[in-house]
Amino acid sequence: MADLSQRLLGATFQTPVLLASGTCGYGEEYASLIPLDEIGGLVTKAVSLEPRPGNPPHRVAETPGGMINAIGLQNVGLDRFRSEKLPWLRENLRSARVLINVVGHSAEDYEAVVSGLDSDDGFLGYEINVSCPNVKDGTLFGTDERALSELVKDLRALTDRPLVVKLTPNVPDIGVYARICEEAGADGLSAINTFPGMLIDVEARRPVIGNVSGGVSGPAILPMGVYLTWRAAAAVSIPVIGIGGIRSGSDALQYILAGASLVQVGTALFVDPSAPVQVQAGIAEYMERHDVARVADLVGALTIPERE
Amino acid sequence: MTPPVRAWGRVLERRKAAADTFWIEVDCPSIAEHARPGQFVMLGTGLSDVAAPFLPRPFSIGAREDDGRLGFLLRVFGAGTRHLSAVGPGDDLLMLGPLGRPFSLPADRSIVCLAGGVGLAPFLFVGAEARSDEREVRIVYGERTGDRVFDPELIRRITGVEPDLRTEDGSLGRRGLVIDDLDLDDRPQLLACGPDPMLRACNDLALRHDLPLQVSVEEHMGCGVGTCQGCVVLSAEGEWIKSCTEGPVFDSRELAWRT
Repeated sequence: MADLSQRLLGATFQTPVLLASGTCGYGEEYASLIPLDEIGGLVTKAVSLEPRPGNPPHRVAETPGGMINAIGLQNVGLDRFRSEKLPWLRENLRSARVLINVVGHSAEDYEAVVSGLDSDDGFLGYEINVSCPNVKDGTLFGTDERALSELVKDLRALTDRPLVVKLTPNVPDIGVYARICEEAGADGLSAINTFPGMLIDVEARRPVIGNVSGGVSGPAILPMGVYLTWRAAAAVSIPVIGIGGIRSGSDALQYILAGASLVQVGTALFVDPSAPVQVQAGIAEYMERHDVARVADLVGALTIPERE
Repeated sequence: MTPPVRAWGRVLERRKAAADTFWIEVDCPSIAEHARPGQFVMLGTGLSDVAAPFLPRPFSIGAREDDGRLGFLLRVFGAGTRHLSAVGPGDDLLMLGPLGRPFSLPADRSIVCLAGGVGLAPFLFVGAEARSDEREVRIVYGERTGDRVFDPELIRRITGVEPDLRTEDGSLGRRGLVIDDLDLDDRPQLLACGPDPMLRACNDLALRHDLPLQVSVEEHMGCGVGTCQGCVVLSAEGEWIKSCTEGPVFDSRELAWRT
C-alpha cells in the first residue's frame, strides 16, 4: 500500500486530500457520507467575526463542467463557531487536520477571529480567505499588494499556528502575490479560489444569480487552477495547496506534479460525497503503478521538455 | 432524522406518464428504509459520467415500497432532467438521501394536497402513506394543459386515491386552478407543492380560511445536505434558511411571503 502521508505545516497529513472551504460546511453535515477521519483534512466554511446573512437566491446555478455560486459567506460567526461547530470537529476529527477559513471586512476583523480562536483546541491552523468574489470587499486584500502584506504580517504576529493564505486567480501574476505572502510570514498558500463569472437568463433578460455575479468552480476551471498552482509554487518555497475542479486521482496528480503539496476537493463533493475517497484511491493506485514511495516524491515532479 | 445515505440504485422501471414526464422506479433499500413523505433524494450519474450535466438534481420521493423500491416523477425542464430521464431499466443512479424535513401529518385533521405540475410528486407518497394509515386524504392536482397531466391511472395505482384534476385549458378534469372550488368545511390540513405563484395563492387561501398549511419549496440546490448554503429561502424572521435541511417542507408561517 502506497504511503499517502505528507508532512508539512508542522503536522502530518495522512493523505494529501482535503475538503475545500465552503463545500463541506463545518464537517458535521457530511459525517454520515464521508469517512472524514480517513482523509487528509478539511477546511471549514469561512468564519467571520459577526454572523453574516449571505446573498439572496438564486445562490447557485450549474454551468457546463461546473457551477457558479454566490453564497455571500453566510456563516454563524466566531462565537457560535466556537461554541457549536468547533467542539464537533475536535471530537470527531482526530487524524484528519482542520484548517479554519477566516474572512473579514477589515484587518481588525481578521485579527479578531484569529485571536478569538487561537487558544482553542481542535484545529491545526488558518486558511486566510482574501479571495471571495461574491461579497463587495471579498478580494480587497487579495488584489492589493500592500494591504495583503500588512494583513499577513499582522496575523503572523498574532499566532504561531500555520497560516495559509487562499489566493484569488483574479490577478495578473499570482507569483507576485504568492511571494508577498511568503515574505510576510505565511506558512503556505491555497491556489485558487473561484473565478468571477456570470450567467444570464435570456428569456427573463436577468442575471441567474441573485448577486448578479458569482464564483465559478468545478472541472471547468481545472486547467486554470493547475496553471496558477504551477506559477505560485514556482514563485515560493512554502507549500502550496492546489484547488480547482479536482474529481479524480489523476486531476489531483496534475496539481501535485505542478507543485502542490496538498490538494482540496470541493465542488465534486456535490456530485458524489465519495469523491475525496476516490481521489485518494486514484493517487494510491498511480503511486503503486509508478513505484513511487512517497507523495513528496511527486510534488513538482513535472518534466517540461526542452524546446528543439 | 436518519442521516442520509449515499448509494447506487438500479433503475427497475421507466414509463412515460405524460408529455416530457416519466415515472422511474429505482431499487434502493438503504434509502427507502427511512424515507418519509416530503423528503427528497439527490439523483445523479456520478463523477465518471463526464457527458452528464455536472450537478445532481433534487427529486421528491414519489413512492416507497417495502421491497426497497423508490419512485420518482421526472419531468424534462433542461439538460439535467433530460439526462436523468433518459435512464432505463438496468441503469444505475447515484443517490443521496433521504434528505430534508418531511411533511408533518396531524392526526386530528383530514389532508388536502394541492399539487401544481411536478409538485404532484411528494403527494403520491403522502397519499399512499395516509391511505395505509386509514387517513382521509384528497389530492387536488393541476396542470396547464391536459397533455401534461400525469397518468391518472398511475396516480390511482400508487396512492389508491382518485385525484381531483384541474387544467387551466379545461382539456382534462375541471377547468381552473387547484385553489378553485374547494370544499374546506372539515377544516383540513393543507399541503402544497408547485410553482411559486401557486404557493402564494395557497398561502392566501390558508390565511383566508384560517387553515394550517405546509408547503414544499424548491430552490436551486448544490449539495442537498446543508453545506453549500445555496438553496436558501427567506424566513418570516427575515433570515435566509436552507431549503435542503431546514425544509423543503415548511409550515407556511415560517416563511416570508413578500413578493
